[in-house]
Amino acid sequence: MARVVLDDLMKSYGNFHAVNHVSLTVEDGEFVALVGPSGCGKTTTLNLVAGLLPITSGDITIGDQVVNDLDPKDRDIAMVFQNYALYPQKSVYKNLAFPLQMRKLPRDEIDRKVKEAARVLDMTHLLERKPRELSGGQQQRVALGRALVRDPAVFLMDEPLSNLDAKLRVQMRSELKRFHHDLQATIIYVTHDQLEAVTMADKMAVMNGGNLQQYDSPAQVFAHPANMFVASFIGSPAMSLIPLEASTVDGNIVLTGAEGWSLPLSSFNSRKIQNAKTRKVVLGARHSTIKLHKTAVSDAVPAKAYTVEPTGDVTFVQAFLSGAIVNISVPPNVDVAPDEQIWLEFDQERMHLFDGETEMAIKAD
Amino acid sequence: MTSVTGQANAPRRPGPARAGTLRNVWQHRADYAYVLPAIVVMLIVIAYPIYYTVDLSFYTTPPSLQLRDKIFVGFDNYQAILTSEVFWRVTWNTLIWTFLSTVLSFALGFATALALHRDFIGRGILRAILIIPWVISAVAASYIWKWIYHSDFGVIGAILVGLGIADRPPNFIDSVGTVLPSLIVVNIWREFPFAMIMIMAGLQTVPDQLLSAAKVDGASAWQRFWHVTFPHLRNVSTVTVLLLAVANFNSFIIPWIMTGGGPSNASHIWITHIYELAFGRQRWGVASAYSVLLFLILMTIGYFYVRALSGDKKKDREA
Repeated sequence: MARVVLDDLMKSYGNFHAVNHVSLTVEDGEFVALVGPSGCGKTTTLNLVAGLLPITSGDITIGDQVVNDLDPKDRDIAMVFQNYALYPQKSVYKNLAFPLQMRKLPRDEIDRKVKEAARVLDMTHLLERKPRELSGGQQQRVALGRALVRDPAVFLMDEPLSNLDAKLRVQMRSELKRFHHDLQATIIYVTHDQLEAVTMADKMAVMNGGNLQQYDSPAQVFAHPANMFVASFIGSPAMSLIPLEASTVDGNIVLTGAEGWSLPLSSFNSRKIQNAKTRKVVLGARHSTIKLHKTAVSDAVPAKAYTVEPTGDVTFVQAFLSGAIVNISVPPNVDVAPDEQIWLEFDQERMHLFDGETEMAIKAD
Repeated sequence: MTSVTGQANAPRRPGPARAGTLRNVWQHRADYAYVLPAIVVMLIVIAYPIYYTVDLSFYTTPPSLQLRDKIFVGFDNYQAILTSEVFWRVTWNTLIWTFLSTVLSFALGFATALALHRDFIGRGILRAILIIPWVISAVAASYIWKWIYHSDFGVIGAILVGLGIADRPPNFIDSVGTVLPSLIVVNIWREFPFAMIMIMAGLQTVPDQLLSAAKVDGASAWQRFWHVTFPHLRNVSTVTVLLLAVANFNSFIIPWIMTGGGPSNASHIWITHIYELAFGRQRWGVASAYSVLLFLILMTIGYFYVRALSGDKKKDREA
C-alpha cells in the first residue's frame, strides 16, 4: 500500500480545464472519495491517476515515485470500473488470472492467488462461470477480485456501485467498507452519490467544474462546508440557502428577508457578519436545524408552507422564504397543510453564513 | 395392456390446442391483415417462381422453343447434370470462387479496418477512398477491370513489361489457368470494403472500459487486441462471412461481364452457367434443375448456419 499525492494537477482540452489545479494527498491506507456532479472532473482525475489519460501539468506521486510518464501497468494500481469491465469470453477464474498472466507469474502462483482472492470474496463456487452467468453483485465482486489478486499499491474505483439496484448497492457498500477495513487498502473512489462518499470514505474531495472545492473528513465537510456548492451538494435533502441582507438595527446585527422580516443574530454569528466584506449574506440551514412553529414565536420568521411530504419517520415541509425554498423536517404528528402560515426558527449554533458574492463560508475570525 | 394403450392415447389431444391456435389467430386478425399485402406479394414474386422452377426442372425444351409444348422428362435433367463433366467443373469453380473471395476479402477488410481504427491524419479521406470499390456499379467496375487485364492494352501488362518482369503482357482472362484467380482478385477488390465497414462498426462497439481494464491489467497492445477486441468481433465477423459467402455463391455480374464464363468454362460459376443455359441456349429445364440443386445446397448451408447461430443465442439466453 502507498500514499498518493496529486500536486497542482491539470488536465486541459484547449481552453477547457477538466481538472484545474487539483492538489490533494491520500494517506497510506486511506479511503478517499472523489465526489461531485456529472462533469465535475472526478472521473478524469481518477483516469489521470490510473495513467489512462496523459496529464497536462502537475505531478502524480504513488508511493515514492512520480508516475506522470509511467504506463498504467507500471503504476502498481488496480482499477474497478462502473460496468465491471469483465472479459465476457473468459470464465471468472480466467478473469481473475488475467492481470497475473500479463505479469508472467508462474502458473501455480497464479492459481494460489486466484483461489485466495475467490475465498476472500466468497466466490469460489463461481470460478468456472462466465460473467454473463453472474448477477450484477457477483460481477461487481469479480471485478473487485481482479483488482485484489494484484495486491496493488492503490485501488482506483470508478462508480463501482452505480450499476447495481438500490438494495444491492447498500449491501455492496458495507462489503466494500469491510474490504477496506480488512485490507487497510489505499482506495480512491469516484462517485456522484454523496451518500456513498459520506458513508464509506475517510476523507472526501468535493469537486465542481474541475476545481477541488473541499477536501476533508465527511463529518467536517458536513458540519463546515467551505462554500455554498459544498453546502448544497452534501446532505439530503439539500441544505436550504436563503439570500438575505445584513444590517444594523439599534446596534444589533440582523438579517432581513425579502418579505421585510428581520432575524436577530447571536453574538457569535454577529461577529461573523462584522468580518464579512459584503452585506449580501446567504443563510444556510439543514432541515433538521429549523424548528417549525404554527404560531408566531419571538426570533422565528414568517413563511408559507408549499408542499408537505410525509415519509413515515419524518415529514418534510417545503416553504418559501425570501425567494428561496426551505426544507424543514418535522415529526409525523405535526399537521401542516400547503399554503398554511408557519413560523421558522433557526438554530443559531448550527446555521451557516455564506458571503453572497464569493459564495464562500464566512469565518468567525 | 389396456393401461398401456390408455397411456398412449391420453396425452394426444390436439383438439383444444388447435382451437387455441385458431382463437389466437382470430384475436390477432388485425395484425394478420396488416402483413397480408406483404405476404401476397411474397407469394407472387417468390413462392410462385420457386414452384414454377421446380416444375420446369422436370421438362425439356421442345423443338418449337414454345414453353407450352414443353416435354416431360422426369428426372432426366437431374441425371444429365450430375453425370456431366461441366457440372463438376462449374461446381469446383464455384467452391474455389466462393471460398477464396470470402476468406480473402474478409481478411483484407479486417486488416484495413484495424489499420483505419487508429487515429492519423488523412484517415477520413483514406476511408472514403477505400469504400469506392464497393459503391461504384459492379458493371462499370467489371468493364474497367477488363481493360486493366487486357492482354494488348491492359495497364498491368504494360507495367509488367515496362519493369522487365514479363517479356510480353500476360493473358490474365484469356487463359484457362489464370482466368479464375484474376476474377477472384477483382471480386476481392470489390468486396473487401464491405467487410471493412462491418468490422469498423464492430470495432466502435468494443467497450472502452474493457480496453482500459486490460491496459491497467498490464496487457500490451497486441494482448489487448487478442483478449478483448478480437473476441468482441466474433459475432460481427460471423455475420460478415455469411453475407459474403452468400453473395459470392450468387455472384453473377463480374464473371458474366468480364468473361461470360470462358474460356472453355474455366470461369463459369453456378449462376453464370444457369443463366447461360436458360437464356443463351434456351435449355430451361436443365437450368431449372440446376437452380433447384443450388437452392437445396444453399438451404442446407443456411439451415446449419442459422442453427449454429441460434444455438449460440440460446446458450446466452439460458445463461
